[in-house]
Amino acid sequence: MKKNFVGYVVLAIALFLIALLRPYAFFYGVQRGSLYSLVALPLALILGIVGLLNLAHGEFLTLSLYMTYLLFTKWRMDPLVSPAVTVPLLLAFGFVVYKLVIERSLKTHHLNLLLLTFGVSIVMVESLNIWWTSRPRNIYVPYASTSVNIFGVYVGGYEFLYTVAVVLVLTGLLLFLKKTRLGQATYAVGQNPKGAAIVGINVKFVYAFVFSLAAGLVALAGALLSVRSSIFPHVGGPFTMKSFSLTAMAGLGNLPGIVLAGIVLGIAEEFVKSIPGYTGWADLVFFVVLIAAIVFRAFGRREG
Amino acid sequence: MKYFMIAIVCVLCFLLPFFVGAYLIHVLTSIMIFLSLALSWDMMLRTGQLSFGIAGFFGLGAYASIIAVDDFSIDPLWSILVAAGFAALIALALGWIVLRLREIYFAITTLALSSVFMIFARNLSDLTGGSAGEVLYESIFKGDSIKIYWLVLSVALTVILVSELFQRTRIRFAINAIRDDEIAAKCSGVNIFKYLLFVFVLTSAIQGAVGALYAQQYAFVEPESTFSANFLLLPMSMALVGGIYSTLGPIIGAVVLGLASEYLKLIMPYGHLIIYGLILVLTIMFLPRGIYGTVVNRIAAKR
Repeated sequence: MKKNFVGYVVLAIALFLIALLRPYAFFYGVQRGSLYSLVALPLALILGIVGLLNLAHGEFLTLSLYMTYLLFTKWRMDPLVSPAVTVPLLLAFGFVVYKLVIERSLKTHHLNLLLLTFGVSIVMVESLNIWWTSRPRNIYVPYASTSVNIFGVYVGGYEFLYTVAVVLVLTGLLLFLKKTRLGQATYAVGQNPKGAAIVGINVKFVYAFVFSLAAGLVALAGALLSVRSSIFPHVGGPFTMKSFSLTAMAGLGNLPGIVLAGIVLGIAEEFVKSIPGYTGWADLVFFVVLIAAIVFRAFGRREG
Repeated sequence: MKYFMIAIVCVLCFLLPFFVGAYLIHVLTSIMIFLSLALSWDMMLRTGQLSFGIAGFFGLGAYASIIAVDDFSIDPLWSILVAAGFAALIALALGWIVLRLREIYFAITTLALSSVFMIFARNLSDLTGGSAGEVLYESIFKGDSIKIYWLVLSVALTVILVSELFQRTRIRFAINAIRDDEIAAKCSGVNIFKYLLFVFVLTSAIQGAVGALYAQQYAFVEPESTFSANFLLLPMSMALVGGIYSTLGPIIGAVVLGLASEYLKLIMPYGHLIIYGLILVLTIMFLPRGIYGTVVNRIAAKR
């Protein structure tokens, strides 16, 4: 406990120094980090409860971006309203993917599951490629490019919605897992599927539910992201790895840790980007942290 | 008798350019490149470790070979060995850490390492030409496609030979034991880490050499296309469709999928990769042992 406390103090001081020295990097980092953790939470949910790393996670995000784009261009639906449509659609899509592809292979070797979701991700990317070509598309809404003044620093105001959303989603998930009956069942399945089955929890239903819930949450992130990002078939891909990095860093079953890890990594990434001449190296931050976190945990477990 | 047949098939493969057209030779060359990658991926999988890093080592080899020719004016033929050596060295250094990981952690770390290699290739612009890549003055053998075919064929046959040696010598027992039950293998006195490191370094060297071949054939490297996911995806699908844990399986898969993809490219120039994704998903769902594995099982069941 004490070791953790020292770590948090050092972290807080480091973040404060960055905020003081490079305020832009700090605020952009908070925004990007919120977005990353918003996308990572559903992935961590599936990984923690179903025990499956969904390599098609980023493609779910891409799909929801395209849906939002479609709603916007066809019916002029505001991207902030569109979750009312896209979330149920993605919920259904997640359920279908789970029932069609995943469920029947759950019993086999789990490397098969990894390859399976990898295949699903390729099929999704290439379908989007065929239907909409790889041309990037954009949604323009005036409110997305407003800026706010914080202590004399002008930063985009819209992106703080990510932070609001991630706090809401995290609180919602935690409350759901602790307070509701279905949430407690989900928690139990995550801890011990066999035991949960013995006490009468429908494990298969919980798995299907978690998978669709995750897809639905991704749709929410997609709607928020849609106005600030180009939309093309490969846009979601990097988010899979980033989400997994955050999950690996926070440790399984640690949902608040993911948000913290996301914000720290977001700031670290923006900090590297803000050093002149090193912009291209910013992508390295996530991978180095991912590899370091995995290796550190692997060695730590061995000693423990 | 069996060996005699194999020898005849090999000789026929070498003589093939005298009988068929240039287009087929080109197709066969690319099939054999993917065949070597598929076999090397399968050789690692036989130890129970799923590697997503083959595109990374492929790209590493490609870059090493192009830089060796361009900056150190090494003969292109030797640069392939340089590339294999370089990939092996990197694999040796990384293997000490990576091979202590298991299952999805190993898979994800190797995938992350591929991206790290690509970021290095893109950012060390003095050496690698940055995101524009680097182009050589001319390709190997001055672009003579028949000589390139022979070279690729020799490499592919070497890889097949190595894979067969793995299946026939003592090392096979160690590898199968590690895959089936690591703790039991350890208790029986198998030095797991040594074997894993050996296989990892060897397969990485193969991937590096194949990457060098590919780069020398087209005489250029570029981060996005050299580290493309295709060099992971296609070999994986080939090995899975043909049948994993065997030498013949990936060969069958490479020939079937390689010819199919050439055909698909003609009728569906855009987004033909979707077929690969579908094949990957369907094979794992309905034919988890692949073509070769299923056939072997059927024959065994009949007896």
